[in-house]
Amino acid sequence: MDELDLLKKDWNKQPDNSHRLSVNDIYPMLHKKSSSIVKTLFYISIAELVFWILLNIIPYCYSNDYREKMDLVFNRHMITAITIISYAVILLFIYLLFKSYKSISVTDSAKKLMKSIINTRKIIKYYVIYNLIMVFISTAFGIFYSINHDPQFADFLNHSKKEIIILILVSIVTVGVFMAIIWLFYKLIYGFLLKRLNKNYKELEKLEV
Amino acid sequence: MNKELEHSFVELLEKHQNIVHKVCRLYTNNYDAHNDLFQEITIQLWRAYPKFRGDAKFSTWMYRVGLNTAITLYRKSKRTINTQDFEGVAFKIKAEDYDNTQEEQLKVLYKAVHQLNDIEKALVFLYLEDKDYREISETLGISEVNARVKMNRIKTKLRTILNP
Repeated sequence: MDELDLLKKDWNKQPDNSHRLSVNDIYPMLHKKSSSIVKTLFYISIAELVFWILLNIIPYCYSNDYREKMDLVFNRHMITAITIISYAVILLFIYLLFKSYKSISVTDSAKKLMKSIINTRKIIKYYVIYNLIMVFISTAFGIFYSINHDPQFADFLNHSKKEIIILILVSIVTVGVFMAIIWLFYKLIYGFLLKRLNKNYKELEKLEV
Repeated sequence: MNKELEHSFVELLEKHQNIVHKVCRLYTNNYDAHNDLFQEITIQLWRAYPKFRGDAKFSTWMYRVGLNTAITLYRKSKRTINTQDFEGVAFKIKAEDYDNTQEEQLKVLYKAVHQLNDIEKALVFLYLEDKDYREISETLGISEVNARVKMNRIKTKLRTILNP
């Protein structure tokens, strides 16, 4: 007899009575909170959106100095254009995330379900990459502008070349460290959350080779 | 969601709960983890229930949601899943537990199946539940040929364990 047929015979003959639940046991279970990875992923994506939106908005709202500098660097039209573009990007990501979450269905095949979750995670990843690139560009632009227009900075420029190089290096390292921390944090969260899913997805992919 | 829907769902789940228990039995290894997974599968079934169409059998639909929850959606660190290689398990079992009686064979088989990886377990589970390869392939999202090939490999592994 086939080993699995032996197992099958036994598997089907023993009902699991040790855990058997009544209708009254099941009712309250319907209203408990889910601990699925999709739910966690959803909360993380909301947190990512809020974090980057706040990071962009707070300095402008609360720091007069920052606002004055921004007004000095860009004219009104340019500020409006940048604001519209950045909000459009945020809205685009919200839309893509929403669409992606809607496509996750527990009644799909295992592979399709995993693929939908991986795609959703990718959208969050692109959002983080977009923000990190924006941090890099705006820092580079800020330094470039300060060198050319900021009187305080111009004074500083009169100092030795060595000091300027140190300043630029420190700026690059600070931004680099900030970006690396965000990226590591991101990798850690998703690595931990989706470790099993990725492993199972690879296993299914392997079967199709 | 209205009470009538809730009532019909609970009745159906109560009737077919053994399917969910079997998934839990395969993917967990203690009482608390079993209950946790049962709870999560129930939530996922309930959420998906309004879209459930009568054209599929409720039990067939449960297999899919149950397995998807166990291998993809569910996350609880206290649920320890052992995913060692089959060969490694076989080696340990051979040395400690092998005996040629049917009861012992079953014990060894259950132990071995329990230590398969998540996808292999899903294949074995559907096979044990008498699903044909078409249904197995549709549930997992792989081709029928590959489901058959993989199943044969698992059988060979089990045979090796029992007949070293």
